[in-house]
Amino acid sequence: MNAYIIKSIGLAGLNGFDVIVETSITNGLPAFVIVGLPDNSVQESRERVRAVIKNLGYEFPMRRILVNLAPADTRKEGSIYDLPIALAVLIASGQITPAAEDSVFAGELSLDGKLRPVAGMLPMALSARDSGAKALFAPKDSAAEASLARGLAVYAADHISEIIDHLNGAGEICPAEECQPLFSEAKGLDFSDIKGQAAARRAIEIAVSGAHNMLLSGTAGGGKSMMVKRIPSILPPMTMEEMIETTAIHSVAGLTSKSNPLVRQRPFRSPHHTISAAGAAGGGKTPKPGEMSLSHNGVLFLDEFPEFRRDVLESLRQPMEDGYVTITRANRSYKYPSGFMLVGAMNPCKCGWHGHPSGKCVCSEESIKNYMMRISGPILDRIDLFVNVPPVKYAELTSVSEAETSEKIRDRVVRTRELQMSRQGTTNSRLMGGLMKTYCGISREGELMMKSAYEKFSLSARAYSKIIKVARTIADMSGSPDIETEHLAEAIQYRRSGTLLV
Amino acid sequence: MMENNGNKIPDVTVVSLNSSAYPSLLKSISNPPRKLYCRGDLSLLQMPAVAVVGARKASEYGKWAAYNMGKTLAEYGIVIISGMACGIDSWAHKGALAAGGKTIAVFGCGVDICYPKSNAGLMEDIIMKGLVISEFESGMHPSIITFPLRNRIISGLSLATVVVEAGLKSGSLITAERAAEQGRYVYAVPGNIDRVSSIGANKLIQDGASLIVSPDDVASDLGFIRGDIIEKRSLSLGEDEKLIFDAIRFSGELTVDELCAKTCLPPQDVNGLVTVLEMKGILETAMGRVFTAK
Ligand SMILES: [Zn+2]
Repeated sequence: MNAYIIKSIGLAGLNGFDVIVETSITNGLPAFVIVGLPDNSVQESRERVRAVIKNLGYEFPMRRILVNLAPADTRKEGSIYDLPIALAVLIASGQITPAAEDSVFAGELSLDGKLRPVAGMLPMALSARDSGAKALFAPKDSAAEASLARGLAVYAADHISEIIDHLNGAGEICPAEECQPLFSEAKGLDFSDIKGQAAARRAIEIAVSGAHNMLLSGTAGGGKSMMVKRIPSILPPMTMEEMIETTAIHSVAGLTSKSNPLVRQRPFRSPHHTISAAGAAGGGKTPKPGEMSLSHNGVLFLDEFPEFRRDVLESLRQPMEDGYVTITRANRSYKYPSGFMLVGAMNPCKCGWHGHPSGKCVCSEESIKNYMMRISGPILDRIDLFVNVPPVKYAELTSVSEAETSEKIRDRVVRTRELQMSRQGTTNSRLMGGLMKTYCGISREGELMMKSAYEKFSLSARAYSKIIKVARTIADMSGSPDIETEHLAEAIQYRRSGTLLV
Repeated sequence: MMENNGNKIPDVTVVSLNSSAYPSLLKSISNPPRKLYCRGDLSLLQMPAVAVVGARKASEYGKWAAYNMGKTLAEYGIVIISGMACGIDSWAHKGALAAGGKTIAVFGCGVDICYPKSNAGLMEDIIMKGLVISEFESGMHPSIITFPLRNRIISGLSLATVVVEAGLKSGSLITAERAAEQGRYVYAVPGNIDRVSSIGANKLIQDGASLIVSPDDVASDLGFIRGDIIEKRSLSLGEDEKLIFDAIRFSGELTVDELCAKTCLPPQDVNGLVTVLEMKGILETAMGRVFTAK
């Protein structure tokens, strides 16, 4: 019996797994069978492989060909097995030289043998490397991304014949250069364009410094979105690890660029309020990451916050609490990292003018209340800072005083973030249980203040810990090792405005 | 110009729409006057104000109510605005002056013309201790057109308008109507139902204006505290806390940004201080605005 083994990879959610392509060719009625939980897209591989082998001038064995994709209990999807199956058939029928055991093959074939890129290459390459592979043969258009997995030699080809020549020793493919990350400075809109708004600027700096969720409320035209759109300019740079993680998510969603796949800047996603729950959390038969995951390590900006669909708003609860979303399908559930900083912006009422000195608002008290109520208590509970953005006065718009640049703010943010990472390995907003106890101790005086705030403003238990975390960030910003009462007092004020929403 | 007493009487100052001295509350109405001709203390234009208006033919009860409204609200540090007409208007100005408070008379003619002539003494008092303003140039005489126009300025300058006594055709009902259009509070002092002079104010109440039980109602609705209570509260405050508290009580309500500008403190300090003052029960916040607790 002619049996041959060649290695490939598969993708389940965000994680790659090893796949063994086992091929045997036996005498019998001519047949070409793929087993091992292949879905329809893998079954179609047979037709493409048959055509490619013939078009290349090789003989397609007129015998019984059995391809087994192991492990047999995991579903295989996509066109990625075209390349390994074609090679396995050629090797098992003795037409080309076998590949080395530590080589992995992945790629879709066109009928004339050209290799097409595949989505999710980065997480698959990482998983192949981690399970001991030394070489990965992949389509050229996926190679830059695959080579982000350091320590894995990536052999990129445009056509299957290049790989066949390489195996036969008739020609050699050179491993792709390792992709070098370029650390580029954040560019774009700058905070120096914003006149006035000292209080909102301060709140935004706190939120970004500790990666806290925030909700800005204010009348139409007050400049909320103008400020939020400048947040990318003050976000701290990502670590290499974070870049890889972020790129992997974008890769699975098929959103990476061919030539420059590494996502270097923290994501800033601002989906429209008509987005579906699937678009926000992730969806599809094999779920693709949604906006919440695509903003992992970055910012998810929801403008017109109360206008979002109820199911979308509710689906924010899990990621805001745990930092990932879980999507359940019949046979398994997928877990996608979604550690975003939520920035919401909202008008105070449907028409947008409630509270504006012009008195333009046409909403009834009832409708104003209903508008606020669209955001449920559990969501409000997960927001750390509430900020009112008052309409800017004409005098401030024309004031000549220079506003601070994003670069200056960013320098401070970077310093405060570094402090948090070196002390506790995570941002202040993600401090939980024991870590929080260790790093967020408050003095007796502070406790008295919290106690009286608790009674005076009837705060929830969750609000209590949010205040402490924000106060921790404020203390870090001022370089204070301890959380002092003035830090708590400021943090309470950002929580206060939230109680007015419900 | 007034010719008596030579140079003691202040000259006319023109405040235009884009001047920083122009009152922001008035600027926000749909048709603000482009120029204000002023005689007196311009700083009054920046202070919280309430209009007290009513009929020219006032009953004894009406005079008493107007005088007391003016006097009581002035004690809270509120500027009393009226039209210096005979009757209710005059008594409201007098009440404010009697309390040692501030008052503004808005004219339907040039600020060099005294109308009615019988109020010459009151006008001089108001110019010296308060402010007289008009959108009409000096020399312009009052007419059937200028008075209704003037009324939108009275309500536009004010956080609230109080109608004390008004017949069915009183001009003060126009002022109340303007106030409602401008999104301001409207109050009315109820009167006996056996008098024609009560119908206008009572009908306002029927239409939704707030009924005044005591002159303090208006002040406490707007979040003002009497001077003597303020003194008591101030005693317990630290230096920065007092800075914040004073800024608020002289302005009625402010945003955090405005507080920063007025106190020269950064937002982090202002936010912290506001929290502490809230917990002491001295300030309150809502919709991004800070004001004194009731
Ligand atoms: Zn509205």
